[in-house]
Amino acid sequence: MLAPLMHGKWQMRVRLKYRSHFSSATVRSLAMSEAFAVELKSVVKRYNEILAVAQVDLTIKTGEIFALLGPNGSGKSTTLKMLLGLVQPDSGSVNVLGIDVQKDAVAVKQLVGYVPESPRLYEFLTGIEYLDFIGDIYGMQAAEKKNRITEYLKALQLEGREGDMITGYSEGMKQKIALISAFLHRPKLLILDEPLNALDPRSARIVKDFLHKLKMQGVTTIMSTHVLEIAQAVCDRIGIMYQGKILALGNMKELRQMSKLPDSGLEDIFLKLTGTDDIRAVVEELLK
Amino acid sequence: MNWKNVLSLMQVERKSGRLIRGRKITRYRESGFLAYWPYWVGLTLGIVTGVLAGIIYDFASAVDPEIYTLFQQGVLSIFLSLPTLVLVYSLVFTTMQQIQRSGVKISSQVPYWLPVTWQEHTLASILASLLGFPLASAVFITSAITILSVFLGQVLPAVMASLAVFAAAFMASAITEVLRILQVRFIGAVYKSSGRAAVWVRFIGSLLFFLVFYIIYFYMTSGGAVTFIQTIASAQTAAWFIPFVWLGMTIYSFTSGLLLQGFIFLALSILFIAGLFFLATLLNRRFGLYEPPAITISRGTYAPKTGFLGKLGFSTAEASLIRKDIRAFTRRRELMTIFIIPIVIILLQVMQTFGSTTQTAPVQLFVYLAAVTFLLPASVIAMSLGSFMIGEEGQAVWRIYASPISAKTLVKSKYFFIIFFSVIVLAITGIFGFIVYQPSLRATVVAYCEAIFLIIALGAISLSNGIKGADFTETPRPRMMRVSWSFINLGVCLLAGAAIFAPFFPYALSSMLSEIMPGLTGVALLDPLLALVVSAVIAIVLTVIFYRIALKNARELLAKAEI
Repeated sequence: MLAPLMHGKWQMRVRLKYRSHFSSATVRSLAMSEAFAVELKSVVKRYNEILAVAQVDLTIKTGEIFALLGPNGSGKSTTLKMLLGLVQPDSGSVNVLGIDVQKDAVAVKQLVGYVPESPRLYEFLTGIEYLDFIGDIYGMQAAEKKNRITEYLKALQLEGREGDMITGYSEGMKQKIALISAFLHRPKLLILDEPLNALDPRSARIVKDFLHKLKMQGVTTIMSTHVLEIAQAVCDRIGIMYQGKILALGNMKELRQMSKLPDSGLEDIFLKLTGTDDIRAVVEELLK
Repeated sequence: MNWKNVLSLMQVERKSGRLIRGRKITRYRESGFLAYWPYWVGLTLGIVTGVLAGIIYDFASAVDPEIYTLFQQGVLSIFLSLPTLVLVYSLVFTTMQQIQRSGVKISSQVPYWLPVTWQEHTLASILASLLGFPLASAVFITSAITILSVFLGQVLPAVMASLAVFAAAFMASAITEVLRILQVRFIGAVYKSSGRAAVWVRFIGSLLFFLVFYIIYFYMTSGGAVTFIQTIASAQTAAWFIPFVWLGMTIYSFTSGLLLQGFIFLALSILFIAGLFFLATLLNRRFGLYEPPAITISRGTYAPKTGFLGKLGFSTAEASLIRKDIRAFTRRRELMTIFIIPIVIILLQVMQTFGSTTQTAPVQLFVYLAAVTFLLPASVIAMSLGSFMIGEEGQAVWRIYASPISAKTLVKSKYFFIIFFSVIVLAITGIFGFIVYQPSLRATVVAYCEAIFLIIALGAISLSNGIKGADFTETPRPRMMRVSWSFINLGVCLLAGAAIFAPFFPYALSSMLSEIMPGLTGVALLDPLLALVVSAVIAIVLTVIFYRIALKNARELLAKAEI
C-alpha cells in the first residue's frame, strides 16, 4: 500500500527499515489520500498577540510545484514549518502525505526534505561529513548514499571543497549543502523556504530543472520565495498570503482573473492583491 | 573622535550580552534600572563594605591604638597593589569572555560597514569588553575604598587608587583587544601552514590556552588573591620596569612624597595606555576583518563508514548523532573547555599538595585527595555534558527537529556520549590517582565502582534537566542551558550524589570511631562491599527514573520544536 508513494529500490528499503514508524492507521491514510500531498484545515497559529496564521485552508496535489508568496511577516514560514511539525498549530489539522503531523511527525519527516530560510548547518563538520550524517539519519544504504552525495556535489560544483569545514564556506555553498541534504534521501515532498537564496545562476537553473524532473516522478514541492519570476516560471499554482490569510490561490490564469489584471505579470498581481501597489507614492515620498 | 558613535557602539555590545529570547523578543522593552544592575549592586556592596570596614576600624583603633598604625599601613599597601590586581583580574576575565564569544562574529562585523573611524570602533570594543563583571568589580572596589578612606583620613590616596583601578581595567581590556586580533591572524596562519593537521593543532592549542587561563582564574578565586596582594605590595617597587606596575608605582611615589618620580610614572602609564590603544587600532585596521582560511579535514575519495558504533548495536541514526557530537566536542572551541575540567581539578590538587610531604601531611588528606581524584572529575564531566548535550546544538537544532529522529534515538545517543566520555576521563584520572596516592586495591575498586555509579546517575539527571532547560541562544556566546535550570540541576545532582554515597556514611562513621576509640576496632557498622551494593541499587533506580524523565522531556522538546 505504501508502494505508490515511493521510488523503486528506495521504496522497499524505507518500507522495511521504517515499518515500525508507520502505524496501520497511518498506512491506510497514506493510501487513501494519495491525491493530496498536503491538507490544511482551519489552521490557526498565534505568537502571543500576533496572529501568524489565521484560519488557513489549503490543499496541494501530489506532484504539484506550489509557491507560497507574501510580504515579510505574512505567515509563509510559519505555515511551512507547521507542515513538518516544527510549529504546532493552535487549532485546525495538518495532514502531510496522508499522515496527521501532530500524531506522527517522525513518519512525515522521513518522507519530507526541508530547507529553512537561512539554514544554520553544523559548521564544525565538513560538507561531506554533514551529508553523510544526513544520509545516516534518513537510513540510507552506504553505497547509495555515496553515489548520490558524489553526484550532487559534482552537479552543484562543490567538488574539491567537500573536505573543508562548513565554517569556511560562502553563503551560496552552505545553501547548496542545505539543498543537497533535502534532496539526498529522495523525499516525496520538498518544503523549501527561499531555496534559491545566494545561489549562482548555474546552480539556480540546475535546482529549477531538477524540481521539474522530480515533479515528473510524483514529487511535490512547496516553496516560499520573494523572487516572483521564479514562482511564475516554475510553479503550477501559487498561493498569496497576507496577514496570516491566503488572499488568492490558483494558477497564473486564475490569479489574473481574480485580480482583474488580464495581461499582467505576477508582480503586478501580487502588489494589487496584497494592497501594496502604492509603490510610486512611496518612492516619491522617499525622494522628498 | 565622535563620542556619540563610541557610545552607540557600546550600547549595541552591551545589549548583545543581555538575555533576549523567546517571548520577550516581541515588544521587548528594556528597563534602564535592570540593565545596569551589576553596577548598582557593585556600588551598594562597595558602600556597605566601606562603611562596615570603617566602623570596625573606628571601634578597633579606639580599643587598641596599635591597630590604628597597623590598619593605616595595611590599607595603604592594598591601595598600592589594587591597580595591578585589577589589571590581572580584568585581563583574565576579559580574555575568558572573548574565548566564549564564538557566535559574536555575526554581529561584530556590522561596525566595519558603518561610517565610524577605526579609533571609535576600537575604543568602543575595548570599553565594551569591560562591561559586566570587570566594571562591576571596579565599581565595588573603588566605592569601598573611597568610603573607607573617609574613616581612615586617606581620601587622596583612595581617590588616586580609584582612578588607577579604572585605568588598569582599561589597560587590561586594551591588551585583550590586541590579543584577540593577533590571535585571529596568528591562528589563520597556523591553520594555513598545518593543512589537514589544523584541527588537531587547534584542539591542542586551545586546550593549552584554556588551561593557562583557567589555572590563573581558579588560583585567584580560591583564596589566592590575598597572597597575590601581599606579593604585589612587596615586589612592586623591585619590578618598577614592568609597565603593568606603573600605575601602582605612581600612587606609591605620590603617597611617599616622591613627586618627580610620581609624575614620571604617571606619564609613563598614560603613554603605555595610549600606546596600547594605538596598537589595538592599528591591528584592528590591519586584521580586524581577517577571515581565517577554511580547515581542510579530508581529501580524496569519499568512503562511507559503517563504524564501530554500529557493531555495538546502535542504529545508523544513533551512531551518526554520536559521531557528530564527538566531532563537535573536538572541533568547537567553546566546547573544548569541557576537557579542561578534569585537568584543572587534578592540577589544583597537585598545587595544593605542594609543600606538603607524607611526613607532615595527615593521612586523611591523601585519602580525601585520592577520593576526589577518582570521583570528582568524571562526575563533573558527566554532569556538565548532560547539561550541555542538547543546548550545544544551538541554532542548528532545526536539523534535529526536521529529521526523522525520535525521542528515544535522541536520548539514547546523547546519553551514550555522556557515559562514553566520562568513563574515559575516569580511566585516566583513576590511573593518575592510583599512581600518585597509592590506595589499596579494595579502595581502588570501590572508588572506581562509585565513580561509575555517579556517572550513570548524574549523566541521566543532567540530561533530563539539560533537555528541559535547553537554551539555544548563540550570541554573544552559546548559553546551552538556562541559568535557572543550571541551579536546579546542580541541586538535584548534589542530592543524588549524597544519596548514592549515603550507604558509606555508616562505614565512614565506624572508621572514625575506631580511630577515636581504638577498643572499637573491628566494630564496623557496615561492610564497604555491602555499602557498594546498596549504593549501586540507589544509583540504578535514580538512573532509570531520570532516563525516563529525559525521554519524556525529549518528546516534549521535539513536539514543541518552536524555532
